[in-house]
Amino acid sequence: MKAYLSVFRMRFRLETHYRGAALGGIACQVFFGLILVALYRALYAGKPQSMPLSHVTTYVWLQQAFFRMLLASDADLMDKIRSGGIAYDLCRPLHLYGFYYVRIMAQKLMGSLLRAGPMLLFAALLPEGWGIALPASVPALILSLAALTLGLCCICAMENLTMAFTMRTLDQRGIQAMMNLLMMILSGNVLPLTLYPDSWQRIITLLPYAQMLDAPIRLYTGETAVPQAPAILLLQAGWTLLLVGAGCLFWQRNQRRLIIQGG
Amino acid sequence: MSYIQVRDLCKRFYVRKKRSSESFLREKETIQALADVSFDIDRGELIGYIGPNGAGKSTTVKILSGIMTPDSGEVRVGSQIPWKDRKSYVKHIGVVFGQRMQLWWDVPILDSYSLLKDIYRIPEDAYRKRLSELSEALNLGDLLRTPLRQMSLGQRMRSELCGSLLHRPEILFLDEPTIGLDAVSKLALRDFLKWENQEHRTTILLTTHDMEDIAALCSRVMVLGHGRKLYDGQLQDLLRRYDRRRTVEIRYDRSGCIPVLPASVTMQREGDGFRLAYQPETLPTAELLALLQQAGSIREMTVQPQNIDYLIAEMYREMGL
Repeated sequence: MKAYLSVFRMRFRLETHYRGAALGGIACQVFFGLILVALYRALYAGKPQSMPLSHVTTYVWLQQAFFRMLLASDADLMDKIRSGGIAYDLCRPLHLYGFYYVRIMAQKLMGSLLRAGPMLLFAALLPEGWGIALPASVPALILSLAALTLGLCCICAMENLTMAFTMRTLDQRGIQAMMNLLMMILSGNVLPLTLYPDSWQRIITLLPYAQMLDAPIRLYTGETAVPQAPAILLLQAGWTLLLVGAGCLFWQRNQRRLIIQGG
Repeated sequence: MSYIQVRDLCKRFYVRKKRSSESFLREKETIQALADVSFDIDRGELIGYIGPNGAGKSTTVKILSGIMTPDSGEVRVGSQIPWKDRKSYVKHIGVVFGQRMQLWWDVPILDSYSLLKDIYRIPEDAYRKRLSELSEALNLGDLLRTPLRQMSLGQRMRSELCGSLLHRPEILFLDEPTIGLDAVSKLALRDFLKWENQEHRTTILLTTHDMEDIAALCSRVMVLGHGRKLYDGQLQDLLRRYDRRRTVEIRYDRSGCIPVLPASVTMQREGDGFRLAYQPETLPTAELLALLQQAGSIREMTVQPQNIDYLIAEMYREMGL
């Protein structure tokens, strides 16, 4: 266990080396946040939706603040697969899936923590109707944090599946482009899931993508009431277990037919 | 029963080749990387594993280190099968792939080492002792706080080596470990490997194209070509078989002297002297000397055995590689 923790710590610390990237990310996400908020304000000025505007702006800012959780791939890991550096990782007395899982998690967590702090502060300072609102209640906040944790686990499992797939194709671009597209749309990053037609929502909210950021945000804003929380958390945990299981199997199969090319 | 047992190891690869550079079609070509390779290695041996490019050396190392599954054949190291008991097996081995990197690119190598310490569960005091031992032998003192990306190739190789040895592996697989090392580092590395082998009875399998490494370190060598084992035995015996030519450099007192020699000796002018190559088997050295003296009084003369690289090249040629 200590080994995995050390890997986690190492990758976590490494992420703090890339401060310039974090600053750039913040600027980019703030820009997107402002544009999206302006867009929804215009929409609401024309035709108010069932969900209050403050929930939508909160949704947007939380999505932007934790954007790094959704879309971040460890270029080092991809490189290792392409270059065969993975040979060394196979020589370690570690479970390979777990080894990559903690690396992915450390990157996503530190990456989003670095960006989320300043961004949420910025969003909180914006005038009424533009920024982020307070959580619906204290229990809602606690539950949304729990859901965010599960969401992170779910995303990491998804990302690790992409890795396993890359081991087959040796190029991550195709699978990543597809996964990212699905992620952006189905996780609520482009359009909050709460604004999709109700009939769509019934299905979309059951997909793993909705478990990542949408579920915690709904708990935060109170869109999902506290009594419904256990069902949500259970769904998240279920998807996480399923994806981790699938990932483990995939990696195991990969390992058996792995060929490291070249001297 | 020997420590490492390899029996009838086979591994095939498939390479997709284009029929021609314009063709859209590809054909699948099978490459037999290993064909019925068998050998035994005892604990504490230091073995050289040589062969031309593409002979299957790295494939053997990958299979022995548990990261690749062979098509058929048996491998037993101690009581374990590398690719089946990978996780518990790799604790006891160290691997250096000269072409690849194991340390983290952007962080000081000391951080990478302390991660390896946790991965291999090395106790703190053992780790400290080993690290100081290694950093002295590999001359890493000032580099420990430097990120890997800012190092030269040779510095990087030394750091990588240190990383592979931290957990005191019982067996060490070295796949071209001396790439990019300068003369001083190379000698230091050789001394270190010799010491490691004698002091800790570490079994070492060394794959390299640097014949000086092999000559300095290994008494036993295995030669591999086209996936087959072609020789397994003492390096000296192998060399003696091909070591048939001697080179003579000679300079006379007066520049006008030209020795008259039989056709079996090749001779060329070099500066104000000559360079000759002859085979002591066909022309005994005493006879050659007599012929050389007839031409005039000799000022200086050296007789040298053939360079080991030439010997190996000749050996490969004769083995049809």
